[in-house]
Amino acid sequence: MTRREWIALMGAAPLMKAAPNAPAAPVSIAKCASYNEDVTAKLAAMFDQLGGLDRMVRNKTVTIKLNLTGSPGLRFQGKPLGVTHYTHPKVVGATAYLLGKAGARRIRFVESGWALSGPLEEYLLDSGWNVRQLASAAPGVEFENTNNLGKGKKYSRFTVPGGGYMYPAYDLNHAFEDTDVFVSLAKLKNHATCGITLSLKNCFGNSPASIYGDDAGTDEPNEKPQSGRGATFHAGKRQPPKSAPQELHPDTNHDPGYRVPHIVADLVAARPVDLAIIDGIESVAGGEGPWIRGLRLVQPGVMIAGTNPVCTDAVAAAVMGYDPRATRGTRPFQTCDNTLLLAEGHGVGTTDLNRIEVRGVPVAQALYKFDA
Amino acid sequence: MELSRLRWVAPFFVMGSLLGAVPPAQWVPARWHWTDPSTLDLLAGSPINCLLLKSYNPAFVQKAAERGIATLAVLTPGVDPAEAARQAVQAKLQGVVLEGDFPDAAAERVKDLLAGSHAVVVQLTARNKMKLGGPDPIVGTYQGVWPGIQVAENGEAKAAPSGNPWIDTNSGFIRSVRVWGSPAIWIGNLPPERTIVTGQRYLQVISDAEVYGARWIVALDQDFANRLQHGDAAARQDWQRIGQYLKYFEDHRDWRSWSPYGQLAVVQDPKNGGLLSGGIIDMIAAKHTPVRPVPLALLSQDSLKGASMAVDVDPQALTPAQRAVLQSFTRGGGTLLSGPPGWKDSVAGNSITLDKAELDRLNDIWHDVQSMIGRKNLGARLFNVASMLSFLESSPDGKQVVVHLINYSGYPIENVTVHMLSEYHHARLITPEGVRKDLELYKTEEGSGVDIDAVSVCATLELD
Repeated sequence: MTRREWIALMGAAPLMKAAPNAPAAPVSIAKCASYNEDVTAKLAAMFDQLGGLDRMVRNKTVTIKLNLTGSPGLRFQGKPLGVTHYTHPKVVGATAYLLGKAGARRIRFVESGWALSGPLEEYLLDSGWNVRQLASAAPGVEFENTNNLGKGKKYSRFTVPGGGYMYPAYDLNHAFEDTDVFVSLAKLKNHATCGITLSLKNCFGNSPASIYGDDAGTDEPNEKPQSGRGATFHAGKRQPPKSAPQELHPDTNHDPGYRVPHIVADLVAARPVDLAIIDGIESVAGGEGPWIRGLRLVQPGVMIAGTNPVCTDAVAAAVMGYDPRATRGTRPFQTCDNTLLLAEGHGVGTTDLNRIEVRGVPVAQALYKFDA
Repeated sequence: MELSRLRWVAPFFVMGSLLGAVPPAQWVPARWHWTDPSTLDLLAGSPINCLLLKSYNPAFVQKAAERGIATLAVLTPGVDPAEAARQAVQAKLQGVVLEGDFPDAAAERVKDLLAGSHAVVVQLTARNKMKLGGPDPIVGTYQGVWPGIQVAENGEAKAAPSGNPWIDTNSGFIRSVRVWGSPAIWIGNLPPERTIVTGQRYLQVISDAEVYGARWIVALDQDFANRLQHGDAAARQDWQRIGQYLKYFEDHRDWRSWSPYGQLAVVQDPKNGGLLSGGIIDMIAAKHTPVRPVPLALLSQDSLKGASMAVDVDPQALTPAQRAVLQSFTRGGGTLLSGPPGWKDSVAGNSITLDKAELDRLNDIWHDVQSMIGRKNLGARLFNVASMLSFLESSPDGKQVVVHLINYSGYPIENVTVHMLSEYHHARLITPEGVRKDLELYKTEEGSGVDIDAVSVCATLELD
């Protein structure tokens, strides 16, 4: 997308239907060519552009959902996971440090790691992270595996305001309830099923495989899940255990390109994101992980953050060279529905770039075409 | 007639044995492409001290002997091995290698012929024909998988969101053979044809044997050999690194007398899957669970000493005495997992790997093994090691433990973490490249933890 194309897109945007009442919030963009740069300073400047972290996190519990998709044993071209499809540990460590500096009382990292039933710390060690270093980045750092009950005693139920597209409510690990602030710390990537995966799609991993996994129990969760969510969420071939809310219209649609974006939109409406951070310094294009054919390395050299995940993802999509309001059949949503629009439909935030104030680096200067 | 031959063969060997003061068990073997004596200069500084020759000439053999390098004639089926052995010894070679599936009688005939001399007969047989527990100073096989990460048809490592890449390895086989106490184990498989083999891959292949106490018979592919002969700088550099790796393991020859360290024992019959690659031992090792094979014939209370868990692959094969040993093990608090009735990871013929049907059957017991092990620390737990294999050994006095790491990927692996079951006071990382670095130990719930910055191809963590 050239600057001219970008201006044209901005001009055309009002012609598209945007949910008029969906909230808008500023989004910050920073250029960062590599992880060897001062990531902490750049993030600090971005958070300042968003109004500062202090008012958001002081004396509060902050839960940070990471993006660690797929088994840590799978590497793309042998590269460290953080420079391909995982959130990079330097961005994670810098975020923890800044949250601690801003007065956060407790910082809890969460992820539903692939087939993970043990502690998240071991998953991070398997990912090549220095967990001891991360734990000392700020006071009160904790880790929670949200793929099952984790350290909790019962699941928390999150109802989708307005009823939900796919499920009326979702049962999640307690960490998503026992928090004051929820952060989605995502990666700037394409996604085979959803076109793009940013701060919204990252929340697909909020769902525990113990309940939504293919080997979940019929009546109760399976606390030792060993599989993904393909049969339940992607294909709709089975229902979650009876203990959890059931699908609203089972057996009506088995298309993953329809189901997954709708489920993601439900999840972010049910468990709102307070701060979205997208690591786009180094990443992959063409898919979300090494199991996708045609994956390639990219270096967009950007970080994007905002307090509204739909606005943040809309700007991030534009940085990737996409129209955030594109509909099914248009890149990058050729075979799927647009998660951003669905979340907007839930009233989570606007995708209308004209209503989103971009602070820091303008989109045109941060542009990195993922389809190039 | 053969005895009369021996009478004139023997004197040549007096000289040969004096020159080759290195006992056969300490030979570091390589297949040699050349018969030009000047090529022996390539061995300057290398620990390779035994050359396997398909052809030879007096000048080459003499020059090698002067350098203290043993020469062995490689004999393959199709020739009269006794006559070929006689000629080799007459030409002052130190012995012969019978490589391939010779009739048992033929191999014995050669041994009888050379029995009165110092000539050595090395047999490289099919795995299932190896004479385990016998008197030979060297046992060997021509069969082996080419170690490395298994590659899919599209040229990429086999991948899905679900699993780690699978590593082809001879390590489970070598560990099963090593239990029998052979002074030296040789593995003689060749580089795959029509494949570019990088220098790094050779280092992985060497490590895949040496770490576990065997020696891969160094065998350069033809392209590498040609480049090396013509002085190609990159080939020379790779050759030097091969020598560096071999020297590393020869410098630590004492490791070969150490014992596998870990609390999980797998009881298995070498005749029924115990000598396979990709079998139950390799599957457990791929999860970096320290495991020690216990051949059925060697099953005793002593062989299970220190074990807290055991897998009995084929319960129907147990004798009453062996069954009593396992009963005693469980009465003492050990956890025993027995294979399902009729299960055994056996294969027909000379195959050394399992076919898909056998692998599917192996899954039956594999899931149970995984459930039994769970997250338990049975000696050590390692993290960020998906493209690696590891091996734990302890010194005879039990005061020292080493953790060997082999990286089969083409990239250095950074940030490897090791959680040892016991507490240790000193940790040091050493590598064939000359790294010698003390590492910080920290306490974990289970014992001691240590972080390793990076592993190139092979590294050893020493703990005491």
